[in-house]
Amino acid sequence: MSELRTKNVPVAPRIEAEDLPAPRLEPVPLPADPRPRTRVGMPTLAASGLAVLVFGLAGLETGNFIADEFARSAILGWAALGVAATGFGLVGLGFWREFKALMALRGVDRLRANLHSTDPVRRARAARAWVRRLPEAETLLPAIDAINDPDAILALLQSGPGAALRAKSEALGRTAALQAVAGIAAMPSPGLAGVFIGWRGLRLVRQIAALHGLRPGLLGTASLVRRTVTAAASVAGVEMAANTAAHAVLSGPIAQHLAGEMAGAGVAARRMLVLARAAAAACSPLSEP
Amino acid sequence: MSGWFDPLFRVSDNLLELVGVGGVFSRTVRIGVTGLSRAGKTAFLTSVAANLLARGNPRFALAPLGATDVPRFDHPRHLAALAADPPRWPERTDAVSILALTATIERAPFPDRRIRLEFLDYPGEWLLDLPLLSQDFTGWSRGVLERVAKSGPRAEPFLAFLRGLPARAAGDEALAAAGHRLYRELLQALRGQGLSYLQPGRFLMPAPGSPPPWMGFFPYTGEGGLAGLLANRYAAYVEAVRRDLASPLFAHVDRLVVLADILSALHDGPAAFADAYAALAASAGALRWQFSLSEALQSLLRLEMPPRAIERVAFAATKSDHVAERQRGNLTALMRDLARAPAGGARVAHFAIASVRCTEDFVWTLEGRPVSAVRGRVLGERRLTRSYPGEVPDHAPDPSFWEHKFLALPAFEPMALPDGGRLGVPNIGLDALLEFLLEDVL
Repeated sequence: MSELRTKNVPVAPRIEAEDLPAPRLEPVPLPADPRPRTRVGMPTLAASGLAVLVFGLAGLETGNFIADEFARSAILGWAALGVAATGFGLVGLGFWREFKALMALRGVDRLRANLHSTDPVRRARAARAWVRRLPEAETLLPAIDAINDPDAILALLQSGPGAALRAKSEALGRTAALQAVAGIAAMPSPGLAGVFIGWRGLRLVRQIAALHGLRPGLLGTASLVRRTVTAAASVAGVEMAANTAAHAVLSGPIAQHLAGEMAGAGVAARRMLVLARAAAAACSPLSEP
Repeated sequence: MSGWFDPLFRVSDNLLELVGVGGVFSRTVRIGVTGLSRAGKTAFLTSVAANLLARGNPRFALAPLGATDVPRFDHPRHLAALAADPPRWPERTDAVSILALTATIERAPFPDRRIRLEFLDYPGEWLLDLPLLSQDFTGWSRGVLERVAKSGPRAEPFLAFLRGLPARAAGDEALAAAGHRLYRELLQALRGQGLSYLQPGRFLMPAPGSPPPWMGFFPYTGEGGLAGLLANRYAAYVEAVRRDLASPLFAHVDRLVVLADILSALHDGPAAFADAYAALAASAGALRWQFSLSEALQSLLRLEMPPRAIERVAFAATKSDHVAERQRGNLTALMRDLARAPAGGARVAHFAIASVRCTEDFVWTLEGRPVSAVRGRVLGERRLTRSYPGEVPDHAPDPSFWEHKFLALPAFEPMALPDGGRLGVPNIGLDALLEFLLEDVL
């Protein structure tokens, strides 16, 4: 009975200091997110298998051929070995350059992620690393050290070298746009005009990549085009509306009568400008990830 | 009502952005953070800023403030104070400031969407100036004097001065100055007793700079020249509140966070608890809870944007890390029992939060019985302090509650901030509160 009564009496509040000193409390760390497993897709698997078959079998076949040639005569053997080594070496060099170009694109992605990181130390370090590669490094590095504020550093880069790169990209876009108008006017058939516009667009993307210090090969260009399409979604909002308006105006029967095929050429020219901006956004580490 | 149109707004936003003019209609959400003095507004905003800026998606960044008069909320300074070793709590707020953030929401393949969030910080004392906007000098004086009359012997010098004034006192500057001084001293004494419903707020926390002459008034229900002088000064004070606080800041609030330090009020006793409750109710009642067609038309005639009604309100009991997790449910229930939004269409939710966590939970064996308690380091000490302040009621305390002690909350120091706060600030319940406030816009 007395135990029951004790249980009903509330415990008296209390505040007490412990005897020993203790370190400052730390928050309980949250369990880290398991890294998503990157699964290799079917096209990659198939392409890799095909490459192994082509190069592996070609290598084996060449090895057998060289052994046969050595069996016939040492001179023929050495000559076959020299031909095979030169051929495979050049193919390897090509692949190495492709690989380097792809890695350079990955490097831009990493730099972009670092420049837009929430960690100010990481952001400032990335800014310094990028600026060191620029011709303006001598002027910009002391300015960055003086500012020492990650947000202001990014703003400085965007308004300085970033703006210069954008201006040069847009100049390349304007040149491509003029060539698109002239090319469409000169082409004898719409099909050829389409091919011409496609080729010019691809060339524009590569020119802008070179402007940003990238030298994309075949695979690098394909990857860059894919990134450009993604970037176009974020930069083409206003241009999309302008294109629509331009098309609506220039595609009218009177305008078509007056300008002939120039209405379509005008839209193609505007697309070159949009492409230039999208490609610049894809190549620039300053654009948002 | 607005909830019915939300899907429509979202579809229209997407269409507008698809055609490239979404930026023109990018949304700004203004969140008022209200709370009485020492409720923890500045710590709340510092933690909100640090935790939002540390997020990955949506990405948050400090937004430009343009040419506004309101200074930026200095969250890096406050964060540095919390992260320092030894840590410090942010200093008392003595002026209005704004925390503006831009949230970038990725919606591939559509263009990113940007939402501007604006949080307001200001001295908690000033919140109680909002009810003055709808009161004249006589009505306000009568209400204040009724409350003052119940506040015991500390009010005696001021009340004695009032009793000594003739019925039609002349508008003498010396009389006004003497009454003002006595009234300010009374307010300070009442604040020392834990009372909160103290007006005008600037008498306790003046704006930076020299006090203007219209600050020199006090509640007075007499007539004559002195009454006229005090009424004129009161009107000028109210106009300053309207100009500096209500119009630029609270007129366009569409989300509201009401912070209350209920645990300290439980310690201060029934009078302080009732006073804090009345103060919160008065300040919440002064905000705009319903759309008014007549006010909207008046604004349009003045070529101004019509004031918005508050859509969501979060009532949060702060410093919930001063009690163990088992008691935080009670704290939320107590907040729900005490705080209700005035009639209107606002969605309401209640929370028990700790903007900056200071303690860890543990089981303390007291009088042979296990009790859920907390422990942390008190500011300036190197030893851990164990705290079991008492039981938190899950409804408005009845007379029997006040028969038991509820201990004062120790001034715990904040937990260590990972990476100086750049990875966020340890907290309790802040994510849930922000999700409720912003779930429809982010």
